[in-house]
Amino acid sequence: MSKEQFTIPIGPQHPALKEPGHFTLTVDGEVVTGASVRLGYAHRGIEKAVESRNWVQDLYLLERICGICSHIHATAYCLGVEKLAGVTAPPRAQAIRVLVAELERIHSHLLWLGVAAHQAGFDTLFMYSWRDRETVMEVLEQLTGNRVNYSANLLGGVKFDVDTRVLETILSGLDFLETRTHHYLDIVSGDRIFLQRTRGIGMMTSEQAERLGVTGPTARASGVRRDIRVDAPYAAYDRYPIQVVVETTGDLEARFIVRLKELLETYHLIRTLLDGLPEGDLKTRMPRRIAAGETISRVEAPRGELFYFIKSDGGDQPARIKVRTPTLSNMASVTQLAVGHQLADMPMLLTGIDPCFSCNDRLTTVQTSGESETWTWEKLRQYGIASYRERG
Amino acid sequence: MNALEQAQDILAAWVQAWHTPEDNRFDAQVAPADLISTVQALDDHGWGYLVAITGLDHGAEAGEMEVLYHFCRGAAVLTLRVAIARGQAAVPSVCAIIPYASVFERELAEMLGVEVYGTPDPSRLFLPDDWPEAVYPLRKDAELD
Repeated sequence: MSKEQFTIPIGPQHPALKEPGHFTLTVDGEVVTGASVRLGYAHRGIEKAVESRNWVQDLYLLERICGICSHIHATAYCLGVEKLAGVTAPPRAQAIRVLVAELERIHSHLLWLGVAAHQAGFDTLFMYSWRDRETVMEVLEQLTGNRVNYSANLLGGVKFDVDTRVLETILSGLDFLETRTHHYLDIVSGDRIFLQRTRGIGMMTSEQAERLGVTGPTARASGVRRDIRVDAPYAAYDRYPIQVVVETTGDLEARFIVRLKELLETYHLIRTLLDGLPEGDLKTRMPRRIAAGETISRVEAPRGELFYFIKSDGGDQPARIKVRTPTLSNMASVTQLAVGHQLADMPMLLTGIDPCFSCNDRLTTVQTSGESETWTWEKLRQYGIASYRERG
Repeated sequence: MNALEQAQDILAAWVQAWHTPEDNRFDAQVAPADLISTVQALDDHGWGYLVAITGLDHGAEAGEMEVLYHFCRGAAVLTLRVAIARGQAAVPSVCAIIPYASVFERELAEMLGVEVYGTPDPSRLFLPDDWPEAVYPLRKDAELD
């Protein structure tokens, strides 16, 4: 190792990721020798704020932790509070919760596919995948009235029903998306130039994945068979079981394949669900005050396990709500895996976990020693693309 | 033997009290001095994974805080409950056994003012650089503007 070591701060403004985080990379030439992270740029103090609002107001606040996976936050919260109150939402409501959660997963995975393709310099894939994502966005809008923050949940049930017209839009949308997903699977596992950026990059064995605490598709791409929808079924997942998608290679390519194959599973689940949607009420009565106690609610968000700890002291406001989002768990893997990789691989490594900073923040100050230069995310992305172009 | 009974077996030497708050859950009361031994025992037996660390402030009157270490294995959730005095809020770091706990411990320290001794990176994770010293936002009596 040479004596020359440079510290490269990246962020916190990331024009490409549209979300703020700060990474400090130590490099020896082109090789990363150390990495640290600081978050907090989108921290809004939600865990504190929920303690001074009532149970109903908190539903709206917690749904806004994340703009991408808003519904799953609301679902985790509702299931937890209902458990404390000794109330169970009707079967039709539980099925609609699953329906919206799976539509949200489609939107989230396609959004990620586009962002990841863009980081690799494959903007055609980015634009096509985002065009296709509009299909599910329109379904969500027709179903809930909103493209994001669907506000589908109520304490004790859901707000809306699925009518025949929406049913047809969903089914035809799924047929189109299924064809497109097969096409994307061919691209990410067959395009030679794209594979240069993903195959054998960011390798993580299943032992490493366990040691680094990763979760969701990132863990499943390393052979860790863990999915809360199967391990601890919630809402209506016991009625609509899914096959857990696992790959064992543990590189970036595997993370693409896992997410795309999960989409195929999701299409299948939604069709089964719509085929046998239980009849009945959409909501049940909830008390204003929630019985004293503590509960834990675990759900499978698009990025992995989302964990809620909810404590009530018997009042109309929670005593404490602790939220552990999947990105926080996955972040440790980025700083660990970065070491030994080329600087040019960093954008793809970070993107590989599908980071969601707003979820997280709720992570870095740069030590600039000697001469240093702050790189923007866009500059690093361009650097990565140019570096691989030169190598041919 | 189900997962929780296995955990009960593994931790029998250190746990002061067991509670079953819900199906699939066990709460184990552990003394701060025994925390490392219990976490080490779970790790030695490969029992589950640490999913989160929750800090609970019971308020100035109670004078007590709790740090909860949630471990999951399938549907089972085991919570190690460590009660500490509010005036001398401190727990040992579990990072030597579970390296990724670092981010959880940094959050616990800055949000609730619990000293995590031996933690590899004691710097702030979420709070801004100009956040005042000794103001811990998730304490019940925190005075925030």
